[in-house]
Amino acid sequence: MPDLSKMKKPDVKVVLLGDMNVGKTSLLHRYMERKFKDTVSTVGGAFFLKQWGPYNISIWDTAGREQFHGLGSMYCRGAAAVILTYDVTNWQSLAEIEERFLSLTDTANHDCIYALVGNKADLTDPKVHLSQDADGQTKDPTGGDEERTEPQVLSAVPTPPASPTSFSGLVLHKQVTRDDALSLYERILRYKGLDEKSSLPADKMCFETSAKTGYNVDVLFETLFDLVLPSILRKRHENRESPTVDLEDSGGVGSKRARSSCC
Amino acid sequence: MNCVVDVCLFSFSLDVLSEMSVKAFELVPAVERDLLMGDKARINIECIECCGKHLYVGTNDCFIHHFLLDEVTSSKGKLTYSAQKLLHKYLGLKKPVAELRAASALERLIVLCDGIVFLVDMVTLESVPSAAGGGVRIRGVTAFCINENPVNGDPFCVEMGVLSSKRRTVQVYMVFEDRVQLVKEVNTPEQPCAVSLDGYFLCLALTTQYMILNYNTGAAQDLFPYDSEEKRPIVKRISREEFLLAAPGGLGMFANAEGVSQRAPVSWSESVIAAAVCFPYVVALDENFITIHSMLDQQLKQTLSFRDGQVLQDFEGKVMLASTKAVYVLVPLPMERQIQDLLANHRVEEALILTEGAQRNIPKDKFQILHRRILQQAGFIKFGQLQFLEAQEHFRKGQLDVRELISLYPLLLPVSSTFTRCHPPLHEFADLNHLAQGDQEKVLQCKKFLITYLGEVRSTEVANGCREDVDTALLKLYAEQNHNSLLDLLASDNACVLADCIPWLEKYHKYFALGLLYHCNGQDSAALQLWIRVVDGELQDCTRSDLYEYIVDFLCCTSNLDLVWKYADWALRKDPSKGVHIFTKRPAFTDQSDLSPDDVISYLGKNQQALLLYVEHLVLEKRIQKEMIHTNLAVLYLERVLSLLSKSPTDEEQLTRAREKLQAFLRESSLYRARFILGKIDNCEKLLLERATLHGKLEEHDTALHILVHKLRDFSSAEAFCMWASSSRDSAYQRQLFHLLLGVYLDGSPPAAGAGSSELQMAAVDLLNRHGEVFDAVCVLRMLPDGWSLQLLRPFLNRAVRASMHACRTSQIALGLAHSENLQLLHDRLKEVRKPIFVSEKKGCHLCHNTFSEPNVVCLPGGVPVHTHCVAQRVRDSPTKKRLTNSSNHT
Repeated sequence: MPDLSKMKKPDVKVVLLGDMNVGKTSLLHRYMERKFKDTVSTVGGAFFLKQWGPYNISIWDTAGREQFHGLGSMYCRGAAAVILTYDVTNWQSLAEIEERFLSLTDTANHDCIYALVGNKADLTDPKVHLSQDADGQTKDPTGGDEERTEPQVLSAVPTPPASPTSFSGLVLHKQVTRDDALSLYERILRYKGLDEKSSLPADKMCFETSAKTGYNVDVLFETLFDLVLPSILRKRHENRESPTVDLEDSGGVGSKRARSSCC
Repeated sequence: MNCVVDVCLFSFSLDVLSEMSVKAFELVPAVERDLLMGDKARINIECIECCGKHLYVGTNDCFIHHFLLDEVTSSKGKLTYSAQKLLHKYLGLKKPVAELRAASALERLIVLCDGIVFLVDMVTLESVPSAAGGGVRIRGVTAFCINENPVNGDPFCVEMGVLSSKRRTVQVYMVFEDRVQLVKEVNTPEQPCAVSLDGYFLCLALTTQYMILNYNTGAAQDLFPYDSEEKRPIVKRISREEFLLAAPGGLGMFANAEGVSQRAPVSWSESVIAAAVCFPYVVALDENFITIHSMLDQQLKQTLSFRDGQVLQDFEGKVMLASTKAVYVLVPLPMERQIQDLLANHRVEEALILTEGAQRNIPKDKFQILHRRILQQAGFIKFGQLQFLEAQEHFRKGQLDVRELISLYPLLLPVSSTFTRCHPPLHEFADLNHLAQGDQEKVLQCKKFLITYLGEVRSTEVANGCREDVDTALLKLYAEQNHNSLLDLLASDNACVLADCIPWLEKYHKYFALGLLYHCNGQDSAALQLWIRVVDGELQDCTRSDLYEYIVDFLCCTSNLDLVWKYADWALRKDPSKGVHIFTKRPAFTDQSDLSPDDVISYLGKNQQALLLYVEHLVLEKRIQKEMIHTNLAVLYLERVLSLLSKSPTDEEQLTRAREKLQAFLRESSLYRARFILGKIDNCEKLLLERATLHGKLEEHDTALHILVHKLRDFSSAEAFCMWASSSRDSAYQRQLFHLLLGVYLDGSPPAAGAGSSELQMAAVDLLNRHGEVFDAVCVLRMLPDGWSLQLLRPFLNRAVRASMHACRTSQIALGLAHSENLQLLHDRLKEVRKPIFVSEKKGCHLCHNTFSEPNVVCLPGGVPVHTHCVAQRVRDSPTKKRLTNSSNHT
């Protein structure tokens, strides 16, 4: 069902970035709709509003295709958190993050939070199937029983050429280890000029998820939401501090210019 | 080939398509080919401008055509346009007219032709000479735009952004009636090729990217890259500080002045040439089609075929298009119609989004009505799909008149209901059967839903004004579905329509419920008649297996005495012992008009068993102290005993129980007329104990004891008689009775008598030994025959001697104590007499804590002065008054 709450003004922005076919839309869909659905390649971008406590969080799902790459910086402008997504069965998808997507985040807030997410963990790790109930991550009881054998599922989530096609019951080779992700995260911090000690630890901000089984998906989003709360509060605080912005919110004419002039 | 014909052909095929789309707009011709260029094939439209009713068309042969465009609404509500040509004017430059913009306050048209911007008069189309002489001209212009959100307050001045072909700059001009003035020139990093202006914000398409530039501060914000060689950029201001841009991949991207996208993009084709917003839709034109996306959900809503599209532009909210040969208006269908189309296609969510999105375009009160109606319709669509949760939510939000829903279910609304379905109808269903198409499972689900729904709303304000309809419908459903809550509904405050429910409840054999409904409507008599028929087996209803008890209970609690008198008889006949509960279990009513015991007794007269139970109830539970009732009870007990005696063989067990009751009553009550009862059994040799009791009541102890000892030879009863007969008397009376008994024993046994008399002697000995303490030992010793051995009477004598000793010593102790107390008090008194006792007005009395006002006081032991009246009070209340009075001491 389309989200009627789209009319509401979001308090904070979270953006999903990553190469095509790593499963950004599926992750978001799993979190919002609590199921794994056939998705088609995202055109341009889409966004959802998530009510988190008293706050509205807009989550932007971006298109991974090269064609839409140029729009990335615009989506990231003013983002409070960016989820950099790769496919654990595809080394290239991790490399792309560094090569293509990291620079897009230059427009994000200076205190933006970065999460590094390896999706499709169910393909390489049989435990992801088994452990999901114990972890209590998945709320869809049928999710775990399915094998990734149905051809329509495979065709629905086209596997990128770099990643070998999975066959029934076969566990795929995991191309990206957790250590790879941790070291990338550290490079991201360095790129951002952030001090490792004062930033969020790599251990906490690198996730492996499965949109298919729901593994770790809630943990990912909810961890991030909790982390962006200070950003929301700060934003609200600023709004209260600056009367000009209040005027702008209520449709005043002159205020916006005054404010933009200092950007 | 005529373009209009093309459109018609296509619109036919699109109607077929429209199954899955919304019809949001209609393309209406405004100026047709004939009026513009006739059959001159080479002449094409280049640009248009519309300002009020004035339409200006610029052509490739350097003409401006001026039309007056009138809206004509046909009787069917169909909108058409009629164009009247006013003027056409050759501009003399032999080049196409590239842009036309009206500055209506100045009565000028701003024209771009052959790279030159100049002004012409809106009416005459004559070129305007500059105030300084010569024409007003800006040369080398590739594009210009008007600021729709001007920063200059002057209404007779138009702000214009201009791109020039040579330099990488944007110029901002003020356009006046007869001159233009350059106010700002800003450099750009690349050659700009399209511009839009809002306030101080220039939104620019450069060669390789889009950007936002604040020409006041110089602040620049890159948006995103694109390739100007590959596609024509679109920079369209859509609202305050928000722009719509053509992005790579055929996207329509939104960006605000801060360079942030606040709406998700819409997906166009790669070849889009123009776009406009007509809230909530984004209209885009490409080579062959007009596409219409919703800004609310980004979905493509409508596609219209349009060949040779040249211009798509919105003028004061009116979206106009031009092909190379003709001009059209894209007329939005009324929002309501669009919503209804969506609903007709069961696209509920989209319809609701559209409705809510339309909120800002519709006055508040009108919107609320519309919104409610759409929600109600949406609810019925969901209902038809058996998606009850959603349906209920929509009904709730839409404040549905719940009768709309009830009326779908045949026969549920009472005949008396004044309800008629709203018009136009909220749904397409005739009734539930139509909806379910004979699927009984569906019907059942719908009924269950209605039960839940009505159950929830009946106590809310939704049911205001139609409670009768709601409750009646609910009752019918409960009855039909054999639902447990039927009785709860009837037990609570309800508004079920009786006449309508009677046949329904009868049909489902819910007679008990029907009775309750009669009761709710104050027709208790009808209720009782019905229930009695069920108990008597005439009617079948197994709701309550204890219906008889229920009726008894009902009669017991009713305040309507007529009902009691009318139906108690039936209840008593059915079961006297339970039926009598009508009278015995009656809650205490405060009013005096309640049943009087005398009436009940005479009513019960024919029914012995019930009467007995009732009188018993009066005497034993209500403790009514009336001679007549007690006598009545005694007689009833007696009659029962007598009737049992007269039966043969007699049921000993029953007889014993009956006699015990009689005996207990005779003993314990002292209100009945003993002589009268005695008269009834005077000759009855079987009821000796009862006779003895009665004699005892009459204080004829001789006779009583005689009967007990000689006739019954029941010595223990004789002793017991002495005990109870003297139980409320003093010890002298008791002693007298025991002596009497002893006398009876001894008199009946002369020393020389046989075995019988020795039995009496033994009784006498036992009596003495057991109850020695009540006898006066000296008297007894005198009465006893001399020949009796001491040994025989030893327990009696022992006790007598001990008792005498005990009495003696006790009195000595009492004497001693009294003496010592007397001494003590004497001592106290002497002490008090010796020392002064101070009394002043400041000192308070220890008993009442008031001050003293006169010198007369009483002094308590210890020298505490108190008021005389306080002490008097204390003495009256206190058990130890003697001590206090003794110690009082007047000073």
